[in-house]
Amino acid sequence: MTPERFKKFCLAAAVLAAFAVPLVVHSPTYLHMLIMLFLYAYMTTTWNLVGGFAGVLPLGHSVFVGIGAYVSTMLWLQWGISPWIGMFAGGILAAFVGVLIGLPTLKMRGAYFALSTMAFVEGMRVIVENLDKVGPFVLNGPRGLNIPPIEHDSFAAFQFIDKQPYYYIVLVMLLLAVFITWRVARSKMGYLLMAGGEEPDAAQALGANVTRLKVMAMALSSFLTALAGTFIAQLTLFIYPKSVLTLDLSFELAFIALIGGRGSIAGPILGALLLRPVTEVSRMYLSDSLPGLHLIILGVVLILVMLFQPRGLQEPLGRLFDRFVRRFGGGDKAAAEVDA
Amino acid sequence: MFYFFQDVLDGVLMGSIYGLVALGLTLIFGVLKVINFAHGSFIMLGMFVAYWAVALSGLHPYLALIIVLPTMFFFGYYFQKLLIQPIFKAESNVREPTTVIIVTTGVWYILDNLALILFGPDYRALSPNPLKGKMLEFGDLIISEPKLYGCLIALATAGFLAWFLRKTRMGRAIRAVSLDREAASLMGISQWKIFAVAMGIGTAVAGISGVVLTPFYNVYPSVGVPFDVKSFVIVVLGGLGSIPGAMIGGIIIGLIESLGPIYMTATWTEAIVYGLFLLVLFVKPSGLFGVKYDW
Repeated sequence: MTPERFKKFCLAAAVLAAFAVPLVVHSPTYLHMLIMLFLYAYMTTTWNLVGGFAGVLPLGHSVFVGIGAYVSTMLWLQWGISPWIGMFAGGILAAFVGVLIGLPTLKMRGAYFALSTMAFVEGMRVIVENLDKVGPFVLNGPRGLNIPPIEHDSFAAFQFIDKQPYYYIVLVMLLLAVFITWRVARSKMGYLLMAGGEEPDAAQALGANVTRLKVMAMALSSFLTALAGTFIAQLTLFIYPKSVLTLDLSFELAFIALIGGRGSIAGPILGALLLRPVTEVSRMYLSDSLPGLHLIILGVVLILVMLFQPRGLQEPLGRLFDRFVRRFGGGDKAAAEVDA
Repeated sequence: MFYFFQDVLDGVLMGSIYGLVALGLTLIFGVLKVINFAHGSFIMLGMFVAYWAVALSGLHPYLALIIVLPTMFFFGYYFQKLLIQPIFKAESNVREPTTVIIVTTGVWYILDNLALILFGPDYRALSPNPLKGKMLEFGDLIISEPKLYGCLIALATAGFLAWFLRKTRMGRAIRAVSLDREAASLMGISQWKIFAVAMGIGTAVAGISGVVLTPFYNVYPSVGVPFDVKSFVIVVLGGLGSIPGAMIGGIIIGLIESLGPIYMTATWTEAIVYGLFLLVLFVKPSGLFGVKYDW
């Protein structure tokens, strides 16, 4: 087996293992933790389309999560439209909003862009908290929306008693997002985006309309991010402004991407694999005795990674994986030494 | 109509204190081109240092400055030296070092939650507090004394900083680095020293706002968060890096906050603030007093 084929074999094995997990793990608690892990990996992967490739730091992606959650939930509650359709309605609205925010802001320098996306989330949250109704739609202000649970599993209603269906849905969503990212990264658009993120003037001089490319990436990213909002709404059956429209969520996505390695395909997944357990476990076991300690740990992890691996953990872990491939993949020894 | 004047007065007083809160942030941004997300935590830190200085020594609240200023200056100085500088050096070829934002956010989490663990979540009021609830009356207008002194200290700080940046050798070096790092280095100015000093001064100014706030504001671990977002709005409004911009931006926000609730519910006032923020970003990203830099 060549190293290249061995690499593909490893990835396929990992995907198969992910699909097999619910056959072994039946505990709803652990399944829920895995669902959340994949969900964050998904949202960070979609964040990465802008935050990673376009070289800006969006700190407001929870706006799109919120749009996705609210649109599908309102359509379901008021008109009985299946959340599967609502999901895409939310996605389209989010893409529209993404373009609307992107057009003026993506021309800005990094700090201004980060700040304006932050202000956008906070503004949206305040607006939703202050509105009980928009036209025919009930928003319920700060009290949020409750989705009444149904008695039997229903695919059309996107509601299941067990955790397994949610697990498979989010896994498929994640794989699709990774596939889209991979296609974008290998396309002309991806190359020009990355060039525009690093050296906007040089890319511009080569004839790339950097801002237009960034807006397109923003539209794609916000569409996909909104799908996660519907998933959250159907998983928790309760949404309110502070759960889906907050800076905390936006920040967490940026953290996961930066810890894992922004602009890479594996980075968001690695970041979620590394950071989610840290936050979950420390929150579960430490928050009673020392409230706030889990955030201190998060802060320390962030600083250490940024100091010693500013390009994220994907780089050293990728090297480790390559070495593993060379040792066990039966690759050519001489070639491996030349590479090293 | 009378209430209107009273509210304008309150808005201007509180607004100038907001301006002081944003002053440190704008100074740090002007020189380092980095948004310090830990700024709110610096203000919280300044408030706690002031609180403990007064509580343990029984000093007059404003005399706490003697302790707060050097403590905060060295805190900022070493924050820059130990955490920001290595990243600046590693990323010297990157145009927009966004990793620094993450480090400052990490510091924000650590400081706020350390305070939570050390001091608990309780709201603390300054004691002894000779200024508590003191009012001055001018005809029908009522002025809260701690806010009035806060406003005066804010204006004095802004004036002193403007003088310092124009007239002293160090101030001129800071301005040189903020305009062009490479050229300043060629003139023999150590940019690393300037960065650390600027961060120290910005943090010390956050400490001053802590001293000014404690006599009429409760101290608790997350007290900095609302000030954090507010200072972002103010510095963008006034122009990142501009001292008069920060003061006037602060007063505008103060006026919106005190006049807004007369005409609408208080929660909508917040939406107006963010709306204004976005409007300024879109229409004039360099802010009211900002210079259009290209760094």
